[in-house]
Amino acid sequence: MKPPVFDYIAATSTDMAVAALAAAGGEAKIIAGGQSLMPMLSFRLLRPSLLVDINRIPGLAYIEEADTCLRIGALTRHFQIETSPVIARHLPVLSAAMTHVAHLAIRNRGTIGGSLSHGDPAAELPMIAVLLDATLHIESVSGQRAVRAQDFFLDALTVDLDSAEVLAEIILPKLPPNTGWGFEEIARRHGDFAIAAVAATLTVSDGSIRQARIALTGVGPTPVRAAAAETLLIGHALENKLVESVARAVRAAIAPEDDLHASADYRRHLAGVLTDRALHAAWRRAQGEP
Amino acid sequence: MNQVGRDFPRLEVRAKVTGRAEYTHHLRLPGMLYGKVFRSTVPHGRILHIDTEAARKLPGVHRVITGEDIKKLIPEPYYGPAFHDQPILALEKVRHVGEPVAVVLASDPHVAEQGVQLISAEYEELPAVYDEVQAMKPDILVHEVLKPAGTFADLKHLKDRGGTNVALDYHLRRGDVDGALAKADHVIEHTFKTQQCLHVAFEPFVSVADPGDSKLTIYTANQSPSFVRIEIARLFGWPENRVRVKVPYVGGGFGGKLYIKLEALVAALAMLVRRPVKIALTMEEQFYVITKHPTTFRIKSGVTKDGRIIARSCEVHWNGGAYADIGPRVAQKSGFTAAGPYDIDNVSVDSYEMYTNRTPAGALRCFGIPQLVWAYESHTDLIAREIGMDPVEFRHKNLLRNGRPQASGTILKDAAIPEVFQALVKRMNWDAPFDRGAGILRRGRGIAIALKAVISPTTSVAVINISADGSITLFTGSVDMGQGSDTAYALIVGEVLGVPAEDVRVVHSDTDVTPYDMGTLGSRSFYHMGNAVRLAAEDARGKLRALATEAGLPEGTNYPPVEIFKKRYGMQAGNVIGTATFLPTYSPPDAQGLSSNVTPFWMVGGAGAEVEVDTETGHVRVLRLVNAADCGKPINPAVARTQLSGAAIMQLGFTLSEAMHLDGGQVTNASLADYKIPGMADIPPIECELVTAEQHNGPFGAKGLGESGTFGVSPAIANAIHDAVGVRIMELPITAEAVLRALRAKEGRPLDDE
Ligand SMILES: Cc1cc2nc3c(=O)[nH]c(=O)nc-3n(C[C@H](O)[C@H](O)[C@H](O)COP(=O)(O)OP(=O)(O)OC[C@H]3O[C@@H](n4cnc5c(N)ncnc54)[C@H](O)[C@@H]3O)c2cc1C
Repeated sequence: MKPPVFDYIAATSTDMAVAALAAAGGEAKIIAGGQSLMPMLSFRLLRPSLLVDINRIPGLAYIEEADTCLRIGALTRHFQIETSPVIARHLPVLSAAMTHVAHLAIRNRGTIGGSLSHGDPAAELPMIAVLLDATLHIESVSGQRAVRAQDFFLDALTVDLDSAEVLAEIILPKLPPNTGWGFEEIARRHGDFAIAAVAATLTVSDGSIRQARIALTGVGPTPVRAAAAETLLIGHALENKLVESVARAVRAAIAPEDDLHASADYRRHLAGVLTDRALHAAWRRAQGEP
Repeated sequence: MNQVGRDFPRLEVRAKVTGRAEYTHHLRLPGMLYGKVFRSTVPHGRILHIDTEAARKLPGVHRVITGEDIKKLIPEPYYGPAFHDQPILALEKVRHVGEPVAVVLASDPHVAEQGVQLISAEYEELPAVYDEVQAMKPDILVHEVLKPAGTFADLKHLKDRGGTNVALDYHLRRGDVDGALAKADHVIEHTFKTQQCLHVAFEPFVSVADPGDSKLTIYTANQSPSFVRIEIARLFGWPENRVRVKVPYVGGGFGGKLYIKLEALVAALAMLVRRPVKIALTMEEQFYVITKHPTTFRIKSGVTKDGRIIARSCEVHWNGGAYADIGPRVAQKSGFTAAGPYDIDNVSVDSYEMYTNRTPAGALRCFGIPQLVWAYESHTDLIAREIGMDPVEFRHKNLLRNGRPQASGTILKDAAIPEVFQALVKRMNWDAPFDRGAGILRRGRGIAIALKAVISPTTSVAVINISADGSITLFTGSVDMGQGSDTAYALIVGEVLGVPAEDVRVVHSDTDVTPYDMGTLGSRSFYHMGNAVRLAAEDARGKLRALATEAGLPEGTNYPPVEIFKKRYGMQAGNVIGTATFLPTYSPPDAQGLSSNVTPFWMVGGAGAEVEVDTETGHVRVLRLVNAADCGKPINPAVARTQLSGAAIMQLGFTLSEAMHLDGGQVTNASLADYKIPGMADIPPIECELVTAEQHNGPFGAKGLGESGTFGVSPAIANAIHDAVGVRIMELPITAEAVLRALRAKEGRPLDDE
């Protein structure tokens, strides 16, 4: 099918974009990479009266290193993130996650802002944003605000963004020294959305875990941080018994559903297995192993 | 000149790569209307009312047509290759979700589409049946009466019966199965199932009809243009020559584009509105046109202590969906070989083609054989395990060999079963030590082999025109949908007439100029049409020689053709037309389902797989897939190999990921986002081995090959998984979750317990 009729504005500045959105009174949609929006238009799941194209706004695609964090412009393409040496150095778990996002052709167009704003329940970027305690900078005609990733994802395909707001920048704190990471995913095919995926980081000193983070995707309406499971790890060295109880806590923290591609039972099971693997990988890397 | 037997690039590759090849999708005719289809949302129901008012009023809509309108033009608007059971647009009843109920016509396809959204229909819903075994109970009837078509020679015996969902039942009785089972040391029985799948050709269905003054022209992506012409002429009560069917290149068919799909619909619409009409389906709509049969196969074998199979009984239920299409042939034809490529004295086969309220099922790369092989080669492996024999040794002991009667009673001839099996065993290094993995990742390997009879009896006709300058044009009704048939025929013509194959022009199906062909299907074309082409070329060669004699040239002259024509006609003028018809001999099955001549040639194919199973997730990685097939003497080995690898990839999808999901008759994954065909990155290394043999009656010793590469893939993978982790998957597709569930069940802690 083809999309219903809509008007189109190619914004040349964020101000112009937010003004156009505000003027449309909730009937407009931003188009970034178009990789999620275009199918929704073509299936007529969305019928916006206006598309505000942000692709030509200069200075909205960047990866900048600051003292304690990385700043990523919302229009940065998946492929730029995947291949960025700065990200590989400071946030290798993000680089690893990107290779699981769709296929190269889609990664050439799709943007980090689009992926986060779209909020697919099985997408990788929302999970990494939650894992890394990202802060999202949002702009509108009434000003700016910042939201923690934890609070941003409200439900499947529903995020804390007003129809007149633009997600402008994503701030990702750098990982502390002696931090290892793990990323594990099972999908039906290469490049498919995850049936389940787990990302974890462990910060280790003197042989015990100081900080632990575990995030999951594909196992519920939004990405999940398994906070209770994380706490179990603090102050310990990683060993199998501990991992078992952490995996159990992760399984208890999620509420997956059945769909065409996997049952809730299988997803829950995978959450445990992938947590185990991600934690072991993170532990190894924290010791300096590759 | 040696044309046949060399690696030869396909004649049309340049045109395809540069986007210049002609496809039906490209066609636009002056005054053409686009049709969009309004489809049933209920699986089974009586039509109470179709409200087309709002659609008709939509600006830009030319007309809205329902089944009742079509009836005014064609009083009996039912078509089908086996039964005349399928209405051009639904009449009185709908029998599956997605069945065409009305069509909106407009000059702009998007307006037509919008019109479709304004139509509504009311149905009295009837109970529906979806399962092929449950459909045996006659309490829910998909069709009240059935009219056999009587078109095809192999389906002449279909009966008009009422009160049943059985479209066809085929029974084979050879020897005394019960007696032999009673004497066997082991009696082993299993039930296997397969899922509903889709062809997923890159080019979705598309047809255009142009109602001329004295004839109707249909441009269509179809694999059987001669059948289309006969069937459309029958519907209108016309002579065949009032219908012209043109088929340019086809972007993949795989059996989906056989017989009538959109052709009757566009023809009726064009005749009703007296303007050209085009209908091009979307990918999503294809889920409601034609599919691959789901099956339930109960198989039982009696085996002696020393590993001889002495009896086998096979009961197969085929889920044919709401309209028979060619399902009856699938059930019968594949029934001949349901017991596998083994030498078994006592065999019974009961094969039932069932109507249900699903999307119809027809031919899909092999007319049902992969469903059967899935069952009998999984079963064979399980028997070997149970009696404690190596699966290779067990098969060796039981393989059918040339000179022995096959289950149908036909003596096996030119079937390289042991050779193909040997090639597989060798490639798989079966006797060498095998790394079985350790810890979480376990490895295993499996093997499978199968046999197929080609559909028979069928006719192909070829015409060759040598122009006065000596250039050669070949006219055939074969449809080149990527399998390289144009090139193969050009090689044959080149070989016989001593010209380079690239200089032979092949004219695509146009029933005004190309002669009859039964259809491009079931690996029959290269054998049947190949023979016809060869004979036509020989006929032309003979006539050219006669022309030389007439022109007064000495016997055995090597004057170039242009000189012969000039001498005979005084200038560059005239033609030589060579023609031939090929029809192999055949004996229909008797009351026992037996026949002394069931097929003009046999196809043999097998596969070997090495897999790695992640025992924690159930994820299966195919490390290696080996495919071997008997190809007679390959005419074009490069293309033959790609036929094997293409078939393997297709069957890999049916094995590991593809399945249509149904909810209340509605396909819930009718899109390529949710229906999972393998992507490039999912395809393992595939090794293809062409086992060269001699098909004594084939063109230059060759035989058909388009399907053999599918045969063994599914059971080889299931057997390898069993070898790796000791669990048996009985139903396709083999998803990671299915494997994990089996592993957990084996450990006595089912997955749901968590
Ligand atoms: C075949 C296929 C497979 C895929 N597989 C995966 C996968 O495995 N994992 C995965 O994570 N993703 C996958 N995707 C989705 C892909 O990553 C998309 O690129 C991404 O989800 C959306 O990014 P986009 O820039 O294309 O956004 P668009 O499609 O342009 O927009 C998506 C939504 O976000 C809104 N939006 C976009 N930018 C902004 C902004 N700056 N501020 C506010 N709102 C905004 C739009 O209005 C729209 O509602 C797949 C896509 C396809 C087509």
